[in-house]
Amino acid sequence: MTVQLSLKAVDKFYGPISKGVHAVKNINMDIHKGEIIALLGSSGCGKTSTLRMVAGFEDTSRGTITLAGREIHRLPPVKRNVAMAFEGYSLYPTVTVRENIAFALKAARLPEAEVAAKVTEVAEMLEITDILDRYPTSISGGQQQRASLARALVRDADLHLLDEPMGQLEPQLRTLLRGRIKHYIKERGLTAILVTHDQTEANAMADRIAVMEGGVLQQFASPEEIKEAPANLFTGTFVGEPPMNVFPATVTEAGGMIHLDLQGGLDLKYPVSEFSDPVRKAMVASRQIVLGVRPYAVHRSDQGAPAQVVANQWLGDQTHIAASFAGGAIVLVEHDFADVVLGQDIRVQLKPEDLHVFDAKTGQALSHGAELA
Amino acid sequence: MTLELKNIVKAFKSDVVLDGVSLSVATGETLVLFGPSGAGKTVLLRLIAGVIDPDEGTIRIAGRDMAGVEPEDRGIGMAFQNFALFPHMDATENIAAPLTAKKMGKQQIAHTVEKVAKMLKIDHVLHHKPKELSNGQKQRTALARALSGEPDILLLDDPLRNVDAKLRFEMRLELPRLLKSQQATVIYVTQDYKEAMALGDRIAVMNGHGIQQIGTPRDIYMSPANLEIARLFGDPVINLLDVTPERSERGVQVMLSGQPLVIDAGFAHAIGQSCVLGIRPEALQFVPEGTPGAIPVQIETEAPLNEKTVTLALTKNRREVMISRPSGTEAPSSGTAWVIADVTNIHLFDRTSGDRIEPGQSAAVQGAA
Amino acid sequence: METVNPIERVLRGVAITLVILFFMFPILWIVLMSFQTNETILRMPPSVVFTPTIENYQALITGKLETSAGILEIAFMKNLFNSFFLSTASVAIGLVLGVPAAYAFARLKFKGSEDIAFTLLSFRFAPPLLVLLPLTIYFQQLGLANTYGGLIWVYQLIVLPLILWIVRGYFEDIPADVEYAYRIAGHSWGATFRKIALPLAGPGIAAAALLAFIFAWNNFVFALVLASADKQPVTVGALAFVTASGIQYGQIAAGIVLSIAPTFALALYAQRYLVEGLSLGAVKG
Repeated sequence: MTVQLSLKAVDKFYGPISKGVHAVKNINMDIHKGEIIALLGSSGCGKTSTLRMVAGFEDTSRGTITLAGREIHRLPPVKRNVAMAFEGYSLYPTVTVRENIAFALKAARLPEAEVAAKVTEVAEMLEITDILDRYPTSISGGQQQRASLARALVRDADLHLLDEPMGQLEPQLRTLLRGRIKHYIKERGLTAILVTHDQTEANAMADRIAVMEGGVLQQFASPEEIKEAPANLFTGTFVGEPPMNVFPATVTEAGGMIHLDLQGGLDLKYPVSEFSDPVRKAMVASRQIVLGVRPYAVHRSDQGAPAQVVANQWLGDQTHIAASFAGGAIVLVEHDFADVVLGQDIRVQLKPEDLHVFDAKTGQALSHGAELA
Repeated sequence: MTLELKNIVKAFKSDVVLDGVSLSVATGETLVLFGPSGAGKTVLLRLIAGVIDPDEGTIRIAGRDMAGVEPEDRGIGMAFQNFALFPHMDATENIAAPLTAKKMGKQQIAHTVEKVAKMLKIDHVLHHKPKELSNGQKQRTALARALSGEPDILLLDDPLRNVDAKLRFEMRLELPRLLKSQQATVIYVTQDYKEAMALGDRIAVMNGHGIQQIGTPRDIYMSPANLEIARLFGDPVINLLDVTPERSERGVQVMLSGQPLVIDAGFAHAIGQSCVLGIRPEALQFVPEGTPGAIPVQIETEAPLNEKTVTLALTKNRREVMISRPSGTEAPSSGTAWVIADVTNIHLFDRTSGDRIEPGQSAAVQGAA
Repeated sequence: METVNPIERVLRGVAITLVILFFMFPILWIVLMSFQTNETILRMPPSVVFTPTIENYQALITGKLETSAGILEIAFMKNLFNSFFLSTASVAIGLVLGVPAAYAFARLKFKGSEDIAFTLLSFRFAPPLLVLLPLTIYFQQLGLANTYGGLIWVYQLIVLPLILWIVRGYFEDIPADVEYAYRIAGHSWGATFRKIALPLAGPGIAAAALLAFIFAWNNFVFALVLASADKQPVTVGALAFVTASGIQYGQIAAGIVLSIAPTFALALYAQRYLVEGLSLGAVKG
């Protein structure tokens, strides 16, 4: 795999260096050719600043950005060979959707037939063939967004940047279009960075997700890895819906058992042998930990700890159950209709292989269920 | 308190928003008004609140005609989508607004505000002005304000719309208990089908100037009255394929991806009719090649979607289908794969009208024969 | 570029200084003039070096204007009081009438509301002299000429449209939902107007009142025609400085300084409100 885009020690300051607002802190990332990357984080996490540095709309305060072997961080946007779909659409209002999409292709002096074929293809994929001859101001927000996406995807560039490209889409179209766009990008071997605050979108589209918070890259890994081995408490709770259940706990070791004392007087006991030596040592050393468990990994079982149902919500293909547990609440996901009612006492089991353990002070992950088994 | 709407008509200039809407909600029931934007949900809510008046029709609360009754005299609590907090008052004063209107004593007001704030976990920010509150706290304050006067009717206008996904999820799980503890009659407006299914005792689906279907979440998901409703519920969206039912030796069948799929014999009355077959993505399942009734598909791509994985595939006729399965289960991720459809979980719609075609009763006997 | 280089910073400073000089120079010059005698003002070439004198102010306050032709009685302090009284009373009445009207225009879309609102605004388009001639005759017949009441009435032509249109905009900016929420909570529309609409439009009302005050204060023509000496505001009273023995520049300058002082102070004080704007963060999310 060749590296297509590389960010080395990239910093962004708004205002003078090291005195201004430090929006992006020492980002290092290598993105391979043909990869789809999601920059994921809530607003103000630095993802948009990072994107704008790559696109060239913000200067890079420190560090280097290399694209397809060229250093680009000092080049103006037009010389970077980057295609971008803007969050605010930014369609040219005076020309039709078709001409908007074809604009860059015509500028690159492609033969007319080829331009027409490419436009038709991308328009079909995004279901905008019926509005190709309309003007941007006369179409809906969702259609404008798709037109903007088409204009970026139709180009043959070294890198495609998609800034919140699906926020306005009709919910019925969203899942389908995500699948199609992913297929389109993969089929052509394009390299793409998707900026989004929606972890569902990041998971659905990306080969690897870069989770950002406070200007810092928290974790850069595949969706599966982030799900199974979140690097810290932030990543663990930010990615995943329903969110990961978390419980503060105190660790003690006695009589060959590891005790996890949760709030509300709940004591979970696991044989020492369930944990590898370094993990056990780290846990006992931390003492104060945060226990995380994904909702789909919580099961109802007679051997489990007591909980009381506060909500049972059937959503058609899955059921979300919330129950009061250990002084807080625990959420379970089941894939069938669950016959529990409000107020019912149930027992829920947290298996050691499904537990994520974080240090309560630093938030760093100490262990993940997968390693325990 | 019961709430009854009869033949409500409302137009703005020449734009008819509601055209003959009738609805009745029982005491203590939570009714969700669900529909795409522009379906008139908010207008209906405002008519009930009394801030706008219907052109025609009557609104009754506890049997009393509300025509000419001012909003302040209707015994209603309302939470707005944009929160509509009073920016110059702190959270306490906001929440106390329904209580000061009742000329309650200072101490009693303080006590009630405290109680409601605790219930909604905002007792630590009671002295903050709205602009000092986070989005989630604003939303809870707005809810607290709607609840504090213990109204008989509670109108919630998409209250979770403007909070982030995590808070929305958290509130969705918290709300049922909260609403039940109030014993109020609740009308809840939302555009999110998950919220509708999770919170509604019944759901009224609004589309095109009126209510198209009313029923329990199960009724609506399992027997959508038309194509549009089938599309509005479920994520990923239901697969819709053009079919024409035909007779076969095993009863009634449709052709899918070049393979016959035997469907409920009760659909015999639809033989020869141009139909649309609706199969929910979770009703399709990957099976090994050679499984009886399996349909071949060409896999395009795979995308995880919160606790499930969605595969986008093409049928032989290059029609897209989506197949959903619980995350962590094994499935082929490329090439040709075979899927089987759960025939008890399919829907048939008339292609021109979009209306649901119910399997006939007599046919069940036929099928058994 | 976020980082500012030193040359740019210097150039920016020079540019700002030039702009400030350009706009502040007349005011500065007037203040300097007010501390000079007519002779030093009129000397050629002009100079900023002079021995300051407060005799201009003395003359104004005592009401005795010394000219080469002898001592002239002037009623400057009385004029100042008149200005103050007329402007304040006009604005007060304008607010009492204009704010509820603005609310009605903003919230109730009744038949002809736009036309009425526009007609009120159109009073500002017509040249004052157009209405003055008939008004003078009416006022004399009604006994309103040369009374405070009459002047305040006419001043509503200036004050009312201004308040109405500015405040209306502020009322329209308050999301209707905020008011609905208060109504649904159980409060009458009157209470909603007092407790929600008025406080939220407060900064706008303050801004409108301030502008109206300044316009009323600076009015010249109405007072010139409809008031005699004892009811005249400073704008008209200043004419007294144009004497038979020449124009008393020093005293005019001092008079101007004194007469702009109240509006100037008011503007400085109210700046806070004007800048603050509407704090509707709770609604806009």
